[in-house]
Amino acid sequence: MIEEPYRWVEAIANRREYIEHQLGGGSPIVALSFKEGIVLFTLGRERQKLFEIYDRIAMGAIGHPGDIERLRMMALELASTEGFVRSGDDVSLRRLATYSLSSVLKTAFEQIYGAPYLARMLFVELGRGDLPDLFLRLEYDGAIHTNGGGFGRAFEEFGVLSGNASSTAQMTRFLQEQNFANVSLEKALRVALEAWTVGHLALGAEDSMELPSSATIALHAEEQLTAASIEAAVLDRSTSLPVTWRLLTDAALRPLLQSR
Amino acid sequence: MDFANLPAAPTAQFGPEDFPALLRKRGIYPALPVQAGHAPFLQTEATTILAFKFAGGVLVAGDRRATAGNLVVYDRADKVLEIDRFSLMAIAGVPATAWEMARVLEHSFQFYRRSQLQEMSHEGKVRALSKLLRDNLGLVIQGVGVVVPLFATFDPLLATARLYFYDAMGAQFEAADYAASGSGSGAVRSILHYENTWGARPLRKRNEAEAVLIALRTLETAAETDTATGGVDRRGRVFPIVKIVSEKGIVTFSDKQLSKIFKEKVS
Repeated sequence: MIEEPYRWVEAIANRREYIEHQLGGGSPIVALSFKEGIVLFTLGRERQKLFEIYDRIAMGAIGHPGDIERLRMMALELASTEGFVRSGDDVSLRRLATYSLSSVLKTAFEQIYGAPYLARMLFVELGRGDLPDLFLRLEYDGAIHTNGGGFGRAFEEFGVLSGNASSTAQMTRFLQEQNFANVSLEKALRVALEAWTVGHLALGAEDSMELPSSATIALHAEEQLTAASIEAAVLDRSTSLPVTWRLLTDAALRPLLQSR
Repeated sequence: MDFANLPAAPTAQFGPEDFPALLRKRGIYPALPVQAGHAPFLQTEATTILAFKFAGGVLVAGDRRATAGNLVVYDRADKVLEIDRFSLMAIAGVPATAWEMARVLEHSFQFYRRSQLQEMSHEGKVRALSKLLRDNLGLVIQGVGVVVPLFATFDPLLATARLYFYDAMGAQFEAADYAASGSGSGAVRSILHYENTWGARPLRKRNEAEAVLIALRTLETAAETDTATGGVDRRGRVFPIVKIVSEKGIVTFSDKQLSKIFKEKVS
């Protein structure tokens, strides 16, 4: 029956609905550029969600842990072998995502007798020299969304990922209105927490174009901070070492974010 | 649905493969083909590297000369390599094999940390180099790829920097106080033994300035009798590589610092 085009389209639509439902509860992830690099931020209760992929590349993901693990290892193996055979400077997020990961995800998604990947990922890459940072969201169907300026869209210094489209849109809207160019890490973490909160509020709510008030954001952030652990990492532009990844601990961050 | 042809469930393994295994799977492991019989030719090998424990950690130093037979091939070779933030590998032997080995090791530690989400243990790092040396045995038997390295790394559990030396087949030995390798190592070991036993104080009690001075003087002595060990080329301003491993990570002495010590206390 699947040979009929209509059935195929229907199967794909069902599969999309199923995956969206599975990803729906995922805690948002925020990444943004600040003075000394890129910060990645999320609140969680269970397993690690932010990962180092290579010297200048990191990833955050929501979805099924088994699928995230497979995709993470795929990215890690590709980056590591490329960095070994050529050089660390030849490992690029653009190549990793467009030539390798995207097509693998698309194939798995459209092979309707096989299992798709239940994962949505946000990759970030620290720009070399004067090049801008790259934020790249990779969907379970292989679709790519980057921070690069598009039609009617200015270049963005951030990347977000969330359980559903309206939450992602709200976070994007919120961050577009913020001014965080060249801020300190502490300020960047606060902006990230607020953006996370906007995304988290939007997960359970009706679709809305209105951003929540700053009082609502502050209250919700405070509530969530007490119930969850903080997960954050930095890709450090100021280090002289090739490895830029640094994981920040909950203990170190909590005083910074709760003292408001 | 064809249930008969579903792929078998994968066998569980303890985390992903290690990095050399990954390279082999992809056919890019940097091994040279081993052939029967000897093909003797002049190879770049002799050198002097040394390392010893002092009050501030482990000091690792090496001369800069690379030779092939009686030819000087290069006078700015860097034989003390940083493998990660807390590990140094000093190489004596065939550079083609040694540098590639260091590269595999460096990527192995990174790959392990990134894939397993934890740092490789002290013991694991020490063993990793041993495994690479054993993999190289074919070339050693042919006489074309001998590598005899030193490895110094900070052990976070014991909170101390530790020092190891290896033989060409991969046996690892932990050095109590000092280790040396390369063609000039005979002279180096004699001096370090003398200093450690009858010197003003044992090597472990020496401070940083004393330790650097001992390293420079010892290398200079080795260069006196061993043509394959480069002394200091003051006109070309080429100085030995001197690095320290401690709980703070790795410290490298600049040519400017070494030049000053040389002028005042060595030459």
